[in-house]
Formats: sequence, C-alpha cells, structure tokens
Amino acid sequence: MNISRIKRRQFLKASAAIAGSAVVGGLPSKGWAAGKPVEAQKLLTATAQFDPVRPETARLISQAAKQVGFDIEATPEDYNLGIQKVIKEHDYDLFLVRLTGQSVRIDPDVFIYKVHDSANYRAGGFNWTGYKNADVDKLAVAQQIEMDPVKRQALVRQAQVLIDADQPENVVVYPDMTNAYRSDRITDLTPQMGEGIGSLWTDVSMKVIPGSGSGYVRTGATVALKSLSPIAVNDANEFKELRMIYDSLFQVDPTGKPVPWAAESYKQVDATTIDVTLRSGMKWHDGEPMTANDVKFSFDYQKKWKAPFFVSSLAKVASVDVTGPLSLRFKLSEPYAPLLANLFSALMLIPEHIWKDIPEKVDVDDPLNYPNLKPVGSGPFKFDYWDRGKEMKVTAVPNHPFAPKCQGIIRIVYGSHDAMAAAIEQGECDRTRYILKPDLMQQVNKVKGCVGKGYPSHGFYDLSYNLMKPPFNNKTIREAMQYIIPRDLIRDVVLSGFAHSGGSVIAPINAFWHNPEVKAPSQDLEKAKKILAAAGFTWEAGKLHYPA
Amino acid sequence: MREYIIRRLAYSAFTIFAIATILFVMFRMMPGDPTAQVISPALDQVAQDRMRHAFGLDQPIYVQYLLYLKNLVTLEWGRSFTSSEKVFDILVYRFWNTMLLMMAGLLLTFAIGISLGMVMGWRRGGKLDLVATVVSLIMQSAPPFITGILLLIVLSYRLDLFPTGGMSSPGNRPGDLLHFMFSADFLHHLVLPTLTITAYYLATPMLIMRDSMLEVLGSDYVEFARAKGLAPHKVMIRHAARNALLAVVTISSILLGFAIGGQVIVETVFSWPGMGQAMVEAASRHDYPVAQASFLVLAVIVIVMNLIADISYCWLDPRIKLGA
Repeated sequence: MNISRIKRRQFLKASAAIAGSAVVGGLPSKGWAAGKPVEAQKLLTATAQFDPVRPETARLISQAAKQVGFDIEATPEDYNLGIQKVIKEHDYDLFLVRLTGQSVRIDPDVFIYKVHDSANYRAGGFNWTGYKNADVDKLAVAQQIEMDPVKRQALVRQAQVLIDADQPENVVVYPDMTNAYRSDRITDLTPQMGEGIGSLWTDVSMKVIPGSGSGYVRTGATVALKSLSPIAVNDANEFKELRMIYDSLFQVDPTGKPVPWAAESYKQVDATTIDVTLRSGMKWHDGEPMTANDVKFSFDYQKKWKAPFFVSSLAKVASVDVTGPLSLRFKLSEPYAPLLANLFSALMLIPEHIWKDIPEKVDVDDPLNYPNLKPVGSGPFKFDYWDRGKEMKVTAVPNHPFAPKCQGIIRIVYGSHDAMAAAIEQGECDRTRYILKPDLMQQVNKVKGCVGKGYPSHGFYDLSYNLMKPPFNNKTIREAMQYIIPRDLIRDVVLSGFAHSGGSVIAPINAFWHNPEVKAPSQDLEKAKKILAAAGFTWEAGKLHYPA
Repeated sequence: MREYIIRRLAYSAFTIFAIATILFVMFRMMPGDPTAQVISPALDQVAQDRMRHAFGLDQPIYVQYLLYLKNLVTLEWGRSFTSSEKVFDILVYRFWNTMLLMMAGLLLTFAIGISLGMVMGWRRGGKLDLVATVVSLIMQSAPPFITGILLLIVLSYRLDLFPTGGMSSPGNRPGDLLHFMFSADFLHHLVLPTLTITAYYLATPMLIMRDSMLEVLGSDYVEFARAKGLAPHKVMIRHAARNALLAVVTISSILLGFAIGGQVIVETVFSWPGMGQAMVEAASRHDYPVAQASFLVLAVIVIVMNLIADISYCWLDPRIKLGA
C-alpha cells in the first residue's frame, strides 16, 4: 500500500486502529508459538466442477506461499461442505470464495457492515474471519444510519482504509461477468454493474433484429429455475427471473444507483419518514389497477409471514400508511441507509386481491410452501409458462413504464457451460443469463455473429483468513500475504484476462462508494520476505518460523 | 407357482422398505448442512429458522422418518423444498419425458441388437460377427457421456445436423402428447440421445441373441427344417430366431430397469428434462422430498422389472422348475 497517497488524518486513524487492534481476532498479542515453525495451512475452496477458477487460483497462491517457506495447501472440497465449515462452524484456516456482484451488494452495507462488523461473527454470519476493530464497527454502524449519501460516502471510504490496513481478508481479483450473445440477433444490450447483460435493464432494453427469426430472446442459463414465489425467493438468481414479472418500488440502475421504478418519486421527510408516490396507470397482469393499498399489502404481508430474504430489513420498517390512491408514507424504526437499494429495489410488489387468500384458501398452511405456479405481477413481462427443467416463457407488457423492446424472453436451461456455449455458437440461444466460463470466451468469439465479453463487476474472489487462531492472528503474516498472492497471474491466466486485480472490498467500478486510495500491490516475494524478516520471522531449512 | 409369486412379492416389498430407509438416512448423511443449500447461509438466522420450520426440518429426526414412511405409503410425497410444487406432480411430468427417450432408445437397441445377433449367430465367425462384437463391446465400455459428447461434437457442433440439446426448440411446446411425439422438431431432438443409449446398451441383447442362436442352431428341429429343404432365411427367422428370442425377452426387463438408472447421465449431457436430470438437481440442492421420491421410484421400477423377469421366465419356459 502506498502510504503517501492516503490522507494524513486517515493514516493516523488507521495506525491508531492497528495499534488498538492487537485485539484483532480477540487473541492476546502473542497467540502463536514463539520461535516455532509457522503451522501448515489448508486453503479451503470449491471444486473445479463447481467453479474451475477456484482450485486453480488456490494452487497458484499455495505455490507462491511455498516459495517464501510458508506451507499452504490447496484443498478443494464440495461447496456446501465448505460453506458449512466456514460460515457455520468457523472451522478452517483459509477460505477462497467468490462473493458475487449481486445488485443488493452494490450498496456498501453488505461488504462493510455484514462482512466486517464484529456483531456478525456468529454461526451463519458473514463476518466469518472473526474480524474485530472497534473503529470499523463504529463506521459500519454509522454508515448504515447515515441517510445523507455524501456523508455516508465519507464514512464508507474511511472504513475501507481501516479494513485494508488490517487485511482480515484479501480481495484477490474482481472477475468480470463473462457473458455471450448473438450480435446478429439482438442489439442495444444495456449491461448492469455486476450483472452484465443478464440484468433487468438488458431485458427491457434489448432489441431483436427484424427478420432474424422470432421476436423472443432465447436466454440461456446453466442453473435451473427453482421457484416462482416472490415470497419464498431467497437467492439472487431467482430474483433475476421473478423481477421480470414482479415490479418493485425502485430498481438499482446500470451504474448502481437506486432509481424509481414502480414508484414515480419519493421524498425523504426526515431520517425515519419517507413518502413514496406511485406511477399512475400501473396495472396487474390480470387487468386490475395497482394501488397504494397493494403496496402497503406487499410490505405488511411479507413482514407478517417473514419472507426470508427480507426478515432483517423489513424489521426496520415500523409502519406503511396509505396517504392517497397512489401515495404512501413509510415510517422506519431507525434510520436505514440501504433502504432504497436493498429493500425498495428488491422487495417484489404482489397484488392484494390474489395474495389476501393465501394460504387460507389454498391447500398449504404457510405461504412459503405455496408454489405460485401462475404468477400475476405488474412487471414489464407477463408470465406464459414454465416447463420444469426446460424453459420459462414470458411476454412483453407493452404499456409498462419500462416496456421491453423485444417481444418476450424464453429462459432455457443447459446441462453445462459447454452445452450453453455450443447452443450460442449454433444459433439456438441468443444470450446468456449468468456467467459463461471465461475460457469459453475465445471460442465463442471465433464464430461469426457471436460475441463473448467481460462486463465489470463489484463482486470479487475473496481469500479470507481465520483470524481467531495462529498464524493469521498475526498481522505481519497477513501483510506479507498481500505481496505473496500472484493476483496479476490469476487475472491473466486463470481468468483469461477477464478480471481486474483486487484491492478494496468496494470495487473501483462501484465508483461512488469505492475509495481510490486503497490499492493492492502486485506480487513481490522479496518484499514479503522483508516484511516477515523485519518483524523477526526467521527461516530454517527454508521453512518460515515465528519470531523468537 | 402361486406360492412362489407371493414369496417374491413379499421380498420385493421388504426390499422397497429397506431402500426407502437407506435413502432417508443417506440423504441426511450427505456432507454439508441441508439447510445450507436449500436455505441460503447468506440469510439471517431468523430467516433460516423460519424456512426450517416451513419445511418441517425443525422436527426431531425420528418424527421426520415416521412422517416420511407414512407419506410414502399414502403417496403423499410432500412438496419440493425449492419450488414448493407437489413432488408427485414434478415426478409425473419428468417420468414421461424419461420414458419417451427411454422407449425410443431401447426399441432401437432391441431392433438392431436382435437382428444383428440373429445374423451373427447364423454366420458365426464371419466378418460381421467379428466387427459387430468388437464395436459393440467398445461402445459398451465407453461411458455414455463420452459417446454422447462425441456425437454432439461431431454431428451437432461440427456438422450442425442436430440440435445441441433439449427436448424441443425453445418456444415450441407440446399441444397434446401424441401430436408432439410425432412432430419433426421433437424427433430431431431425439436422434442423438437415442443413438447414445443404443450404442451403450446394444451389446447385451445382441450378444445374448447371438449365443442363443448358436444354441438353437445346434438343435434337431433346425436340422430337420433344413433337411425339409426350406430356404435358409426361413429357417433362420421362423425356426431359429423365434426360439432364440426367449433369452432376450427375459433380460429385456432387467435391461430396462438399468437403462432408466443410466438416464441420469444421458439426460445431463443432452439437457433432457427427465427424471435423471431432476435427480441430479434435487440431490445437489438437498431437495430431500424430490430426491428421495425420485430415487425411490427408480428403485421400485428396477425391483418390479426384476420381479417381472423372474416370473415371466418361469412362465415362458416350462423347463424351469421352481424350488420346493
């Protein structure tokens, strides 16, 4: 890290934090065996079948560490097993995981508060490293309740400096969203940060070239659709499909800023009061008009039934009151800065006239168990059918405020990335919904009419350390790791160049929140050795030993 | 005979119960917390508890087991953890997709296998005998995903003769099943997976037919038919082959059971929305209700097929004596 580039005040603050964070990990300043060899470590990650990038990256890191006498071994394991060990049991040494760039992660709350606040070090919490820095905790909470974006930006940027100085994890690379499409079939694809051309903005912006066949865009995915219920939905991939059918009050725009969607405007009355006005003329797909009552119902219903994805954010909504046919007032129990990005832009609006009878008049006792096989929303696309394991078809709603430019979308499931790439090359598929493996890009680009491209994302490959035990409770080791990780090699070789070298937990593409002063160094093994030697580490027979 | 059938039925019922229990235990022993996959660990603890309750995963394990057995018998197989649909509905839909592919594959397998086996037996030691034996054994030794991918690479990716996967072109939906089954689009999609199945299973009926032919050809009545001066093809088809078929018929039901299990791979390679694909999806998502039910249906099919094989064997061939 280039210290001269950091503002003096921030630097002082950071140093104070470091001095104070001898308690990082909650261990006494010497939680390791003085003079003894540094323990061999296992780098846990997913298998190549799950994600070919991870074991390769882990191997490169392991090789580099061995060159400075630090024994790190890559151990690819079943993804679920890894998640279980790391997130639930905290039983691991190092963990390489991809924190994908979902739109709910554009707001800095996830990467600053959820990942780094010490309150989130608990079974199932996202702070699985055990990171604890009182100053970061303060900033993480402060940014959550700071409703003024500019003031919040300053807090978020400050937190990034402190986190970077402590290195509880290393942001290895920011991988691009590698997507492919047929340029001889579709044009005007608007990409979104973190979602590439699989985003909602692409869904409504893309046009089919006249005379190139059906007006429906065939969109390929390797993950089968799981559920059609806007209440039970709990992963970002499902949101991608359901938000074509269901509107939300806001949407995160291509650059990462929340903008009104079903809402026409909003006004912040005070820190805990927000007035929202709906667009007029919005209709449910069955022809009924959408009213403020439906919106109030959507929030109350999902709060009452504890829609899993929104349990914690809905807890901040104290009340929703209808103040006119198209206007509402939201009262919060406390200020909540991620409100627009993570609640208003994600919670799907459901029609009261349908859901008021669920679960009472259907054969389930809990809305979470209701399959909702014929979803009726108000979104830019109307549901046609879903043939399980095969395809889902939706048709454009012409009078929607964000009316799609294509006739509709058919979402097709493929058995593998290779099968999906082949389908694009053969002209059977027009666009990918999610990532197509980076190493298939070159092959796709060789075919006339096919484009394979990387779109920048705010997600990253994260190498997290277990700070609760040696050796990673030792800050010098983590500092040295920064110079050991061959991030440029990983970017160019493992990710075929479709990535950017890592740095801050808030990616540069997320420009408003990113702190440009936080930069990660390139690999420099000599420098790593110097850092270790300066802190008293020694080498015997090439193996790294703790300071005596 | 009757006693034998009753005994076999009782064995089969017990086997099914044992398999059901093993499945229950097995899925719960799979590495990783089921809730981590079905219920994203990214969710708050409150949300996870909420979902665990909705799925009945907060019940003690023996309660879950008893409920499972009860639901098994009453065919009330519960709802998918992921889509909340009724498991029964999911499997019915998937089952027919699998059967369509299966039937096409096995019909072709038996048609080719029986005819080739017949000629091979008739012209024992000839060129056809040698080539067909070697080729079919190679194809049987190659796992179906290799054959499938090779077929895809050559006939689809390179020569662009066939689609890369799926059951029909995007947006092309079956109106009624019969109409769909004979649509050019469906048949076009059916070719490669059918060939893959045929390549993999061909050796068994073909070689059995061949051996059976050899046995029959040595018998007196074939000798007699020849002596009567019948045309060779008449002797081969009417007299030899018809008797030789018996052995193939009895293995056919066992082969069918195996082939349905083997569908998992073929369906994955060709993105075919059948039971095999449903099993892979459900198992990888820890969707217990769907995974358990689909494995069980598969096991029941294999057991029933074996039962039919056993019974039909002693019914077709009076020489088989039942144990006392």
